[in-house]
Order: sequence, then structure tokens, then C-alpha cells
Amino acid sequence: MFTISLVGPPNSGKTTLFNKLSGQKIKTVNYPGATVDYFSADFDKKYEINAHLIDTPGIISLIPTSIDEIITIEGIYSHPEFGTPDLIITTIDASQLSRHLILVNDLIEANFNVVVIITMNDILARKNFSIDENKLSEELNLPVFKIDLTKDNGIDELIHFIKTEVENNFEKRVINKISEDTFTLVNKYNRISEIEKKVLFPTKTNSKNITKDFNNLHKPDEISLKIDSVLLNGTWGLLIFFLAMSVTFASVFWLASPIMDLIDSAFALSSESILGIWGNNWFTQLLANGLIAGFGSVAVFIPQILILFLILGILEDTGYLARGAMLVDKPLSKIGLNGRSFAPMVSGFACAVPAIMAARTIPNKRERLLTIFILPLLSCSARIPVYLLLIGFLVPTTGSLTAGIILASIYLLSIISSLVAAGIINKLKNKVITEQDHSSFILELPTYKIPRLNNVFFNAYLSTKSYITGAGPIIMIFSVILWALTFFPAGIDNSIYNENDSFEQELIENSYASNIGKFLEPAVSPLGVDWRVGVAIITSFAAREVFVSSMALMFQVNISDEDSIQKSLLKNMQKAKKSDGTKVFTTSSIIGLIVFFIIAMQCVSTLAITKKETGSWRIPILQFFIYTFSAYFLAVISVNLINFFGIA
Amino acid sequence: MKVRNASQLLNGEQSEILGIDYNHPSARRIIEVGFTPGEEIKVIGKSLFDDPIAFSIRGTVIAIRKSEASSIIIR
Repeated sequence: MFTISLVGPPNSGKTTLFNKLSGQKIKTVNYPGATVDYFSADFDKKYEINAHLIDTPGIISLIPTSIDEIITIEGIYSHPEFGTPDLIITTIDASQLSRHLILVNDLIEANFNVVVIITMNDILARKNFSIDENKLSEELNLPVFKIDLTKDNGIDELIHFIKTEVENNFEKRVINKISEDTFTLVNKYNRISEIEKKVLFPTKTNSKNITKDFNNLHKPDEISLKIDSVLLNGTWGLLIFFLAMSVTFASVFWLASPIMDLIDSAFALSSESILGIWGNNWFTQLLANGLIAGFGSVAVFIPQILILFLILGILEDTGYLARGAMLVDKPLSKIGLNGRSFAPMVSGFACAVPAIMAARTIPNKRERLLTIFILPLLSCSARIPVYLLLIGFLVPTTGSLTAGIILASIYLLSIISSLVAAGIINKLKNKVITEQDHSSFILELPTYKIPRLNNVFFNAYLSTKSYITGAGPIIMIFSVILWALTFFPAGIDNSIYNENDSFEQELIENSYASNIGKFLEPAVSPLGVDWRVGVAIITSFAAREVFVSSMALMFQVNISDEDSIQKSLLKNMQKAKKSDGTKVFTTSSIIGLIVFFIIAMQCVSTLAITKKETGSWRIPILQFFIYTFSAYFLAVISVNLINFFGIA
Repeated sequence: MKVRNASQLLNGEQSEILGIDYNHPSARRIIEVGFTPGEEIKVIGKSLFDDPIAFSIRGTVIAIRKSEASSIIIR
């Protein structure tokens, strides 16, 4: 089938054109060694074109400088599924003509079959210039079309052109690699600048000074410059930046938590109903406590992740995220990171899985690996239920100011720990991360724009989907394994259900999980807790939030109580005693657990995606041991310090 | 005349590019994004400690590190 690739620089209207041309069936394209990223589709039926359409991420030239550029450019040359494109549609911004023609020049040099689409003609008109597309076509020796993407002007001509290409063009071209010589690049630019002067003409006919007009053309957007004079101003800029980030986090939290509670109760209710209707046997137990509970623990984070990616998408689409990256580049580069680490780090608060994939945009290998290394330290949404339970024990009144302050301190601690870890690993030169590469930060600060919400929604949907498909199956599998460990061998014997109401306690006490827990008790007793918490901690290595449901199992929460699960769990935690009669949960042991959960590397999906993205088990294994052991020792130290100072 | 580079420009200051230090490891990307001899640049903003620096170039704004700006020789 005829294959058409859309290729263009960032911010050139490429994705908007893709959305215009494509039909309903858009699917993500997978690459060997990479996951999502870009889309393929068939043409919208109304155009009657029988061809594949592939959208590619924005690039500046055909010479890559980062992993995502390498993948993109290899995909343009020869796509593993669709092969070399029969036609490349390239979009260029009319007001950025010389900069964007560099890519067109590369595509010509590589001998691709190219058609050029000129977008953003309205912006050029505002600068009192217009472009002669016939002249440009003549200069480049390529077909050129002007398209107004907001009003669809010019799209019919493009469709007609594509149709004739699909029907008549069977020529297979020989595609070349292009020259990487830096010296010839300047000459290329000079040639392009000459072309620009030939094809652009001022619309004001009474203009006396053409040179002056061209200088005006090369001035950035006035409004953006005014906004930047405040937002990029050293101290004020940083202050506004931190304020914006704090508001982002607070709003994600307050928007998501009611929906999360709703989802949580819905799954708890369906588990209960299954047991209520079909009674207790191994199958209903598997269904209710294994499968549905596992599905619920995946679903419960969707609102949080979706909302964070929505806000992040809005920040990106307005153009502010690029400014944020610039503002934090210097401090981050001091500890071996990069301004471009910033967006992945913010995503890390939702879920490490999409965040690790987002680190691909960092051109420097070392900085990229270091960013990936520290991302699991940023408190992801899976830790929230754990924190809320533990804070609920410390501060009994929910939603109080003290609880809020503790939660904020936990987040602050998680940020500090990630920065300290980056600093230490960076200082260790090549002991932890062996790769060396020259550090660079070159980023276009796009014109401020009103975000295109359908774009933002679509991207947030994709990131959320990558969490569901990336982390979901592993969480599900481990939920079932976990259920089996707490169910067998006692659960097979059906008589256990008839004997008493608290059979769940009996199940656990006679399960494999309790054998493991009791065996490991010496390891958790320095934390001031007993084997039951040990079991809950072990299960949390499948996914952190599993800790809460395991705690509910271990401390025999009876769902038939009038209180919520959380309340009755907290009640039972207050009463829980160790074998020597002392309390399991004290201020010190709870704080110890919080410290452990901030630092420990407890997520199988994160380890799996890190292996995939870094290409070896080295980094995930190091992460696992370094973080988990540091978490353990810091937790033990905290517990003993608090006990030493005599806080009950 | 002493050779000046773009990292020495003050906020709001304008100048013309004379050349690029090809030995700088980022030279290729710096040129690709539009910093070529003959172009006018202007400092739009500077982050903390004057690093990175945002320049207006060819009708857009591009932020680059101070060390990268020092490879751009100006009038």
C-alpha cells in the first residue's frame, strides 16, 4: 500500500494537518526498542485516498542528537512496518521559513519524494508579508501548497495532488544518508536565506525600505516577548514558576481524590456483592480478592494520572513548559540533570512508567540515564493511599491542616531525596552511571498560545493508556499471586468458611504469606512492627498501593462494619499488639514506614520499563538494591531517633 | 578589536553573529536552529545566574546554555 509520512519541525502545524487528513481509526505505531510515540491512520473516507498516513514527532534536521530523534529519523528512512515512505508531506511555518527549510533541504538531499505545505500564513500576514508559493516551488523544484489549517483553505488542492501521486507514482527511489559536515551547513543556510528573500514579499506596497521590513519579519511575536519579559526575568520568573507548580500539584490532588474514592468504593462494593451472592469458596475468593481487587488497584490511579497529564499538556501547549525547563536548567545541571529532565520529573508524580518514557527527549545519554535513575524517588500516585492511611493514624481527624502539612512535607522530602540521589550519583562519576556525553541545552521557546484542548486530551489519554498497558498487567498478575499466597493452603478446605465469621483471619494465619512473614520477622522488627506488617510490605513490591489492601487483610478488617474500610482498619491498627504485648503501631513505627515508602523501589512495572528503556538490567537492579536498602536503613534510623527522644 | 561572544551580551542587547566556533560539541545543532553568520540576535531573557540565555533569532526565541552562547562570536 502507498505510504505517506508527515514530517516537520516542532510547532509547524504537522499534527493539526494529520488530524485533518486522518480518518477515525488512528493507532499508535510501535517501534522496536521503543513504545508509543506516534500514530498511523488511514485517510478520512471522504477523501477517497487509499494510503497509509504516518505522523512522526517534530525534528529539526535529519541528523539526530537524542534517542527519540534517532528512532524518528530511522523510522522516516525505513519504517519497520511500512517501509520507506512513497511520499513525504512536510509542513513549514511561513513565518519561520528559513529555519524550517533546513529540514526540507535535508529531505531533498536524501532524495525523498517530497511535497511542501506552508502553514501559519496568517502569522506571516500580521507581519505584513506574504509568500509566493509558485516561486518557492520553482526554487525548490518541489510541489508547494499553502494551507490555512483553521479554515481548511487549500486542503482540496493537496488532496487532489495526493490522489494523483497514489495513482501514478510507482517509482522506487534510492534514498541517501545525508552529509553531517558542519561547514556545508552554513552554506546551506545561506542558500536558503537567499530563497527566503526571493519568495517573501511585503504586502504594504508603499513600503520604502525592504531591508527594514525583513528585519521586522525576523522579530519574534510581540505579545510573547512582553510575557517573557516578566516570566523569564530571573527572580520573579522563578517565583511565578514555583507558584504555578504548587498550584498544579494542589489542584491535581483536590480534583482527583473524590473520583479516586468513588472508584475505590465501587470496586470494594462489587467484591462484597460477589461474596454476598455466591458465598465463599476458592473461586469467588479469587474473583473478589484477587481479580477485582487487582483491577481496582490499577483503575484507582487513572483519575490522578489523567488530570496531571492534562495540566502538564496544557502547560506544554501554552508554551510555558519550555520556559520552565529553561528556568530550572542551571540548578538541575549542577547535579548532573538537564532542564529537559523537568517535564519527566513532574510526570513522575503521577506514575514513573510514562515519566521514564518521557525522558527520551533528553539528548545527553548520561543526563537521560540519571533522570531515569532518580524518577522512582518522586512520589507517584500509587503511594498516596499508603500515605493517607499512615497519616490517618498519626492525625485522626481527616482533612485537617496538620494532615495536609504532613503530606506536603512528604512530597518535599521526596523531591529532596531525588535531588540528593542525583547529586551523589553524579559525584560518583562512572561508578553508577558509566555513560559520558557532552551536556547541552538548546530549546525553542514557542510563541504563547491558547491550548488546543482536543490535542491536550488526546495526549493525556495516550499517557494514561501507557500506564494502564505498561503497569496494569504486572499489577494484575502480582495481585493474583499475592491473593494466592494469602489464600493457600488453608483456603482449599471449604469447611473453614462455615466454622466462624472471622475465617479470613484464619486463612491468613495459615497461609504461605504468613509463613514468609514470620520467617522474615527479624528483618522488620528493627522498624518496630511485627510480621503482619512485614507481609504487607512484601506484597507492596508488586505495586505500592497493594500495601493498604494487605494491611486490611492482615489486620482483619470486617467489611460488614458500618465504618469505611479505612476507619475500621485504623481502629484495628490502634488495637494491634505484638507477641510481647507492646503496640505494633506507634508514632515512630508509622514515621518509619512513611520514610521507607518515600525511598524504597517497590514497583515491578517501573523496573521492567527501566530495563526496556535503558537496554539492560544494570540500572533497574542498582535502583532496586540502592533504594530499598537505603529506605530500610533510613527508616530504622528514624524509628530509633524518635524512640530515643521519647516521642510516644 | 577584542573578540566578543554571545554569552557576554546584556539583557535586551542586540548584535550580529560573525561566526560559530565549529569545535564546540553543540556547534551543529546551534547552526541548525538558526544561529548563522550575518543574523541579528537579541537577548530576550536570562535565567538564574545568567544561564541559560534566551535569544531572539530568525523570528523565534531559542534558549541555549551560557557555554553554548560563548561559541557564537558576535560583532
